[in-house]
Amino acid sequence: MNSIWPLVQNETIKIIKKKRFYVILLVLLVLVPMFTYAQMRQAQENRTKFGDDWRTELQQAITDNQNSLGSDRVPEEWKKYRRIFIQQMQYYLQNDVNPNEPGGVTFTREFLDNSSSLFIPLLIMTIASDLVSGERTGGTIKMLLTRPVRRWKILLSKLITLTMFVSLIVVSTFIICYAISGLAFGYSGFTIPVFTGFQPSETGVDMATVHAVDQWQFILMQMGLIWFVGLTVGLLAFMVSVLVRSTAASIVIMMAALIAGTILTNMASSWSSAKYLFMVNLGLTNYLSGSPAPIEGMTLPFSLAVLGIWAAVSLVVSFVVFTKRDVLN
Amino acid sequence: MKPSSSSARIWRITSIASIIATLLLIGGFVYAVNDVVNPVGSSYTAGDSAGSGDTGSQAAVDPATEGIRIAAMGDSLAKGTGDDEGSGFVRRTVNLLQQQGVDAKLVANLGINGQKTNQVLSSLEQSGVQHTLRQSNVIMLSIGANDLFNGGEALGNLDEQAPTAKQLLTNQPQAAARLQKILDRLAEINPDAQIIYLGLYNPFGDLKELRVPGNQAVSAWNMKATGLTNTNEHMMVIPTFDLFQNNLDQYLSADHFHPNGDGYEQIAQRIVQSIR
Repeated sequence: MNSIWPLVQNETIKIIKKKRFYVILLVLLVLVPMFTYAQMRQAQENRTKFGDDWRTELQQAITDNQNSLGSDRVPEEWKKYRRIFIQQMQYYLQNDVNPNEPGGVTFTREFLDNSSSLFIPLLIMTIASDLVSGERTGGTIKMLLTRPVRRWKILLSKLITLTMFVSLIVVSTFIICYAISGLAFGYSGFTIPVFTGFQPSETGVDMATVHAVDQWQFILMQMGLIWFVGLTVGLLAFMVSVLVRSTAASIVIMMAALIAGTILTNMASSWSSAKYLFMVNLGLTNYLSGSPAPIEGMTLPFSLAVLGIWAAVSLVVSFVVFTKRDVLN
Repeated sequence: MKPSSSSARIWRITSIASIIATLLLIGGFVYAVNDVVNPVGSSYTAGDSAGSGDTGSQAAVDPATEGIRIAAMGDSLAKGTGDDEGSGFVRRTVNLLQQQGVDAKLVANLGINGQKTNQVLSSLEQSGVQHTLRQSNVIMLSIGANDLFNGGEALGNLDEQAPTAKQLLTNQPQAAARLQKILDRLAEINPDAQIIYLGLYNPFGDLKELRVPGNQAVSAWNMKATGLTNTNEHMMVIPTFDLFQNNLDQYLSADHFHPNGDGYEQIAQRIVQSIR
């Protein structure tokens, strides 16, 4: 019993046989077509208005945003977002690059952008929240612990399995999204240029570091960042699942935290110490696209550090509690 | 515990897939962090990469086959502020033309509340604006009121002080010079387009102390504008002064500055009469 791999193998097979992973794939297979359809309708509507002329469409969008800048009724916070949006879009126009070149790849990029702070973490919770508490609910924990294996090894094997599935979930999200949206929008677009490196500053955006990358590179970067987010959320959910007896409770706790995060991101700009909470730091992909951080002073290294600390703490707590605690029921 | 063969297969596939996925994602993560933390700016040169370049920005419309393609720019009047339906004279003109069976379409309305001549002038250098103008064969311009009336641009802000008679006249020469530049630049960007400049009216005609100086300033401005447009066969001024002179209560919206829906409708009718 020196090797950890048989344990990991065991855990992996449990997750697959318990159909947890299939549920995730099923959720994706149901939801992605819905988003694709919604996007298609919107594209059609825009086409009747602007024809195939994306430049005019973009210019109109810029003008609409400029109009709202002059209004006293628009909060300063939103104006900042819009100012940045305007500058970015003007940059795209200047360089004659369509920021929304229709295609499955662009759709996937946007989908990933929007799913990094809530949707993908939710999918990961499906697996992570169940890893330990599921054994309790099912009563199999005793069987697991009576085997001549040290407890930390059991936990470690679960952790490795979790990491494997976080990777699988992120990659399958991409694959399913691309495969389905490609049906509607076409499969091309990996080499379309995307601008990155916009540095939000006091007055708007600093353009000095802007550079173009191919869309596939951009998506690869997005996925890497989402993976890190997923891992952090996974570790937190894992800790909760160690601490709480029932799977339902552990899912509810994590879900509440995540949803609180999306609410806080929208309104916590004046409560600056909220930036140390993990749930407002989940939108890592925003740093790529250059949208401003929800709270002043947040940068990618900052968010990574915050997430890393939360992950490390939950890791320690999981191990300490799991190896010390008596299992009674 | 000997795993069954199906379990062994599941394990083999998932482990290999997840190892590949993990390595890929770690690579992406490192790439992303490096790219965000140490960004290297480089100017983008439009290459053969995107299939979007083609003819887009150059293609002007052919009026003979395309019908009427309208672009509007300028201040809140171009945008349609004060119209309860949000249409403004631009959209209403399009609608009237369509009712007459003309193939008319709005390319884009680039009117921005509170714009002054200098802002329009600088926006004409933006590629998106230029592109939009090139896509149209009728360009409607409404500008100058905010230069002249100074405070009126603060929309819906009824506390705003009305300008003094002196102000009305002092702002004029520079604004007129910029109007000339705008018109020249428009003609340069799209030499074939019909350029319609919306003349000003005096929104302060019901304020006793501003009625006369307002009238003087506005008609002087309109004269100037007519003078500027007369030299180019593609340009014209649509007068609005007389329309509003005795009908302020009827055609102005609650902010006492912008036309209401009826006012815009009147303007649109005038444009339709002149356009054909």
